[in-house]
Amino acid sequence: MKNFIRKAGFVASLGASLAFSVTLAQAEGEFSAGSNAKGFGFQEEEKATFSGKVVDILCEVAGNCVESCGNGTRLMGIVRAADNKLILPLKNAQLAFNGPVDDLVPYCNKDVDVDGVLVGDAEVYNAKFYMLQFIREAGAPEWNKAKLWTAAWKSRNPDVASGKGPWFKRDPRVVKQVEANGYFGLGHDADEKYRVENQ
Amino acid sequence: MFSKAKKLGLFLGIAAFSMAGHMPAQAATSAKSVEIKGEVIDTWCYFSGVMGGEDAVVGTAHHTCALWCAAGGIPVGVLTEDGDVYMVLKYEGEDILEQSDNIMEVQSDTITAKGMHYVRDGVNYLVVEKVVANDGIVNLNHEDYGAVPPFSFPKKKK
Repeated sequence: MKNFIRKAGFVASLGASLAFSVTLAQAEGEFSAGSNAKGFGFQEEEKATFSGKVVDILCEVAGNCVESCGNGTRLMGIVRAADNKLILPLKNAQLAFNGPVDDLVPYCNKDVDVDGVLVGDAEVYNAKFYMLQFIREAGAPEWNKAKLWTAAWKSRNPDVASGKGPWFKRDPRVVKQVEANGYFGLGHDADEKYRVENQ
Repeated sequence: MFSKAKKLGLFLGIAAFSMAGHMPAQAATSAKSVEIKGEVIDTWCYFSGVMGGEDAVVGTAHHTCALWCAAGGIPVGVLTEDGDVYMVLKYEGEDILEQSDNIMEVQSDTITAKGMHYVRDGVNYLVVEKVVANDGIVNLNHEDYGAVPPFSFPKKKK
């Protein structure tokens, strides 16, 4: 029961965080037609489905190329076929701080169709960034939801793969930093001071 | 049978064809050597607005979430004082998504980095060759925002 309440609390907190932006209207963009992506109301969000080639960004911009796009060690992008723009995905379709690379690596240097949302104010940041929700090899009949991150994390972290709680509270690299420097990164005394003053 | 010259030509042709699969599609990228100073940030929360405004998703307030996102493979950026964000492709010789502690240790820190700067389609990319200074965490915005998101700071056990 306690575990259920804790999980419900986490989902509610995440929902509350998402609610920061749900009142923002979603715009129609140049690549919105035909998209089946889910909208979240992120900043300057627009649905976007397009075709392109999956690339290793370091290879694409600097000519520093390795086998298999680095097998998950490098940032990856999609060169959009319609305008040759390099689109940078920051997120996959999962909602727990998961990046897109594990979903892109299987398509290294291949032509794909993708569906998702573009976010961010291009007038301020000079570009929009992508949340990849679905991907398939170009023209394939079935879409694949971009949710490979969790399985990949478990295979990278077999010792904690089956533990309790969300991955990000068990991840060895996260735990190491929090144990060393606390939740604000200032040390445990700063955490305790905040706790005393605010809880 | 092929002559030696033909064999060499065939080999070079195959080699060139094989390499082409790994070569960038085009080179519409500008590149220069830079030294930049800025805060190491989580780019998804910064650009998407999912957790609130820009001022809330940096610094101490967002430190634990930045750790989660970096461990999650979300691109790490360096946010300079003038508001430019540089997407880090390599960090002192390591590919950015290698399962190393090095990039984790500088989350929310203000660093001065030397490296190569590439611009493509409006996005700044940075290969950090060397961090020449690290001022640590200097943006103490948890004093204004608390923890962002709130569940990144555990509640006191009763």
